[in-house]
Amino acid sequence: MTPEATRRASTVEFRHVTKRYDARAKDTPGAVNDLSLTVPAGKICVLVGPSGCGKTTSLKMVNRLIEPTSGQILIDGVDIMTRDVTELRRSIGYVIQQVGLFPHQTIGENVATLPRLLGWPRDRQRAKGDELLALVGLEPDRYRDRYPSQLSGGERQRVGVARALAADPPIMLMDEPFGAVDPIVRERLQNEFLRLQEGLAKTILFVTHDIDEAIKMGDLVAVMQVGGILAQFGPPAEILAQPASEFVARFVGADRGLKRLSLTRVGELELRPAVTARPGDDASDVRRRSAEAGTPYVLLVDERDRPIGWIAIADVPATGRLAAEAASATSPLLSRRTTLKDALSMLLDADVQTAIVVDGNGRVEGLVTLDLITDWMRAASRPVEVAAG
Amino acid sequence: MIRWEWIPANLGQLFAALVDHLILTGIAVGVGFAISLALAIVVHRWRSLYAPIAGTAGILYTIPSLALFAFLVPFTGLSLLTAEIGLVSYTLLILLRNIVAGLDSVSPEVQEAAEGMGYTAGQRFLRVELPLATPLIVAGLRIATVTTIGLVMVTALIGEGGLGQVMLRGFNFRNYAAVYAGAVATVLLAIVVDLALVALGRLATPWARARGA
Repeated sequence: MTPEATRRASTVEFRHVTKRYDARAKDTPGAVNDLSLTVPAGKICVLVGPSGCGKTTSLKMVNRLIEPTSGQILIDGVDIMTRDVTELRRSIGYVIQQVGLFPHQTIGENVATLPRLLGWPRDRQRAKGDELLALVGLEPDRYRDRYPSQLSGGERQRVGVARALAADPPIMLMDEPFGAVDPIVRERLQNEFLRLQEGLAKTILFVTHDIDEAIKMGDLVAVMQVGGILAQFGPPAEILAQPASEFVARFVGADRGLKRLSLTRVGELELRPAVTARPGDDASDVRRRSAEAGTPYVLLVDERDRPIGWIAIADVPATGRLAAEAASATSPLLSRRTTLKDALSMLLDADVQTAIVVDGNGRVEGLVTLDLITDWMRAASRPVEVAAG
Repeated sequence: MIRWEWIPANLGQLFAALVDHLILTGIAVGVGFAISLALAIVVHRWRSLYAPIAGTAGILYTIPSLALFAFLVPFTGLSLLTAEIGLVSYTLLILLRNIVAGLDSVSPEVQEAAEGMGYTAGQRFLRVELPLATPLIVAGLRIATVTTIGLVMVTALIGEGGLGQVMLRGFNFRNYAAVYAGAVATVLLAIVVDLALVALGRLATPWARARGA
């Protein structure tokens, strides 16, 4: 973490916010109708919906690029209309799809935009710029003096995020921030951003039209429909498990069971224990332990508990010692952070029943089996008690 | 009969005329730019004023230069003021159009980013819009300057004119060496000033040269 970036975050509350572009028609694109929701401090709230549903309008009302027709938006309980608009905007990080980097300024100058507006001393501006470039994975010495036109789309997006973080804002508004890059880069930027957010814990309002991105990025997801109506608001798992309406069910898609797999990580399951043995262990003892656990396979590990491979109990000699060469097939390796969707995919690809979960040092922690995943799915698809949004 | 030896014998006079020419041009373009920039700011803010303002500048631009000077003389006499009023009014259309086009060329997302980050309107204009409009503004300055260098010649008829004076006197005294010297010096001046503006423009827009990684 950086010295100046603090875990400062604010609560954002929409109270009956309405925006009409045309006094007579309610459904003009971008209109917002009686939106009420609260984003708790430090959470990512994704506004998702088809185009024209008012998600971007809702976002832009927070930094007053658009003023609501009626209703209130409160930041930490204070109505934003009572605040000075320039000061308000400088306290909110803003990232847009086309990035909007200043083409006439170097990357270093772009990132230090807010520190410059706030009148920081030059050396501090520069230090902050370098710090932020490093934070988003761009080496300051290589990028500081380049111009935006010399960067790739993905690099520009990172600079956009760095620039928004410059004044350590408690709130960030992100309008399709990863929409203009190819899917591979998008995936990487999403992962990097989530890792960044673990340290920063900002309050983030994030707009996208992509339900998969919403589910991946959001602690909370607000599904909006045309007319600026909030169709459902809640954690992604709840929206997938219990769509509140026909519209939400259609919008999240027929594959929502699979999507839920991508929300759950291996670490949330109760892992099956593995019967492990080391080369040189006594064979009869290994046979006995295998019989006790009721599994016909033993996982051979090295001296640091890292998996070598499986031995079928039938191949273990009755007496003598285990040899490393006896290990045959191995299994896909997962970490606790692997999603169930990826775990399932790896199992199917490798055409095996069992995957090995290892920690950061490669030590065996336990096993995930196909049965374990299907059991979890069965349990999760049972209706749960959900408070109405 | 061309007395070429007139040229080396009168280099001092030619140089003085050249400097005079440059000053007349400089004042015209400088004042014209200041007025155009002010008008462009007004137009940028209140778009509906663009048509009437550009229309007026357009009408000024269509008045034949000789007629304009002749029209002004009864009011302002045979003076520098008369010359500059005419010269300035011819720069307005070109400069105004280019400054407005330059400001318009700033992409909406850059504008939105600046506004969303808390630039005040003045900061946005000075630090974002004006710098980004520079390439088109410089293009306008080049056309206005070269045009003005040509028009300064005409002001010889009302007693100004820089190198135009040299040429006019050459005609009156059938001194064709002076006519040619004045013409060539004017062309050279136009070329040099144009190149200088190109160089200045490049210096002012380092980002425009930085393409590709």
